[in-house]
Amino acid sequence: MSFDLNWVFVGNNSEMAAVTASPWDFSCDLEVDFESDENASIVHAALAVDKELQPDKVKRQMSIANGKLSVHFEAVEARFLRTSFSAFMDVLTLATKTVEQFGQGMEL
Amino acid sequence: MVAYLCLLSFLFTYKACKDEENDCSWFEGSANKIGVGVVTLDGTILSNPRHTYITPPGQGFLPRETAQHHLQHVLPLIKSALETAGITPDKIDCLCYTKGPGMGAPLQVSAVVVRVLSLLWKKPIVGVNHCVAHIEMGRIVTGADDPVVLYVSGGNTQVIAYSEGRYRIFGETIDIAVGNCLDRFARVLTLSNDPSPGYNIEQLAKKGEKFIDLPYVVKGMDVSFSGILSYIEATAVEKLNNNECTPADLCYSLQETVFAMLVEITERAMAHCDKNDVLIVGGVGCNERLQDMMRTMCSERGGKLFATDDRYCIDNGAMIAYTGLLEFAHGVSTPMEESTFTQRFRTDEVHAIWREKKASAGINGLNS
Repeated sequence: MSFDLNWVFVGNNSEMAAVTASPWDFSCDLEVDFESDENASIVHAALAVDKELQPDKVKRQMSIANGKLSVHFEAVEARFLRTSFSAFMDVLTLATKTVEQFGQGMEL
Repeated sequence: MVAYLCLLSFLFTYKACKDEENDCSWFEGSANKIGVGVVTLDGTILSNPRHTYITPPGQGFLPRETAQHHLQHVLPLIKSALETAGITPDKIDCLCYTKGPGMGAPLQVSAVVVRVLSLLWKKPIVGVNHCVAHIEMGRIVTGADDPVVLYVSGGNTQVIAYSEGRYRIFGETIDIAVGNCLDRFARVLTLSNDPSPGYNIEQLAKKGEKFIDLPYVVKGMDVSFSGILSYIEATAVEKLNNNECTPADLCYSLQETVFAMLVEITERAMAHCDKNDVLIVGGVGCNERLQDMMRTMCSERGGKLFATDDRYCIDNGAMIAYTGLLEFAHGVSTPMEESTFTQRFRTDEVHAIWREKKASAGINGLNS
């Protein structure tokens, strides 16, 4: 399994942020390669149930393609992006470990 | 919910049942404990491992750290539960988890794992109310049929009785839970949190000799503990410094006062609903002094006290599994998109369908 992460911060300039039409200036992209559409969709389905707690401040979009789970975050402030991303990583890791340990070929 | 640790507990359970064998496994993680249980519909517990997050003396547990604890322990607990029960996932009928109430982050751990396992093993999910799970566990373990229930833990304090399809709340705390009050006082005395602050207060209280007057706060059917806590926090240091009393005296006085309040509102609820039996559940329920006081009251009314020890009182996975299995046997399951968790989930929101149909349908739902 491989893992790709890409952070984008625009809006460092508060003046610019004020005049921009979209306030979603902070974004982050995350890609996890499960090398399996089935496993990627299980993790996707399990994590999609929990919505972002502050939808007016953080947005999260997830999609699956070629066995990879792609996650896109957008936030109005860097701190919301950080907390949301950090919380998501915890449950993503948990879901992935669960698939690894209890999925196909599980031995008891 | 948990032993009498502070804050809410979150638990998640997964229960499974095989048609012929009625095997059921469940996970529960609430407050500062995470547990996984495997049960069958007749209440047999095949396994019920649990791990508790114990903080240093003088400190409580916080949501983030507690969630980290659960993240670390949940998967090994599932393995251990399945191994001890000697079952494989194909023997499981459904997976249960604690939907609430509790702390959000710890609750999410159970919910996420149960969703993934549900997809991997192709088993249905059942979301369970933590409070209702305590009641059902208490009923099956003690054999109490239709008691007034006193649910006392670190996160909840409620007097409950069943009526017309729901567990109705007759009285409750209007601020903090009784277990929270005891836990936080244990922090003032820097008692150990191992195995639980409430247990250590109970042991110390046995050596108390002098009763210190404390506020006694019963408001109709409800109770309040925050004022008592503030009072004893403020006076404890002063009295201890002046050698007017010992820490044991304070523990003794606090227990006598808050337990007397609980016995009073429980007795009033019994009179309201014309029931003579009492069942005590929740972490504080394993306090033997509380059980003694309640037993005295019950016997004066010609009733019986039903209580369990720490194996069942304290949050555990089996209680979630068993309650989820009961619901599942009556045709209830939780679709994936609704398998959320919630910090607020009142006892009376749950339709106790298994109690309504007890006479007719019974457990036949399992075989359909």
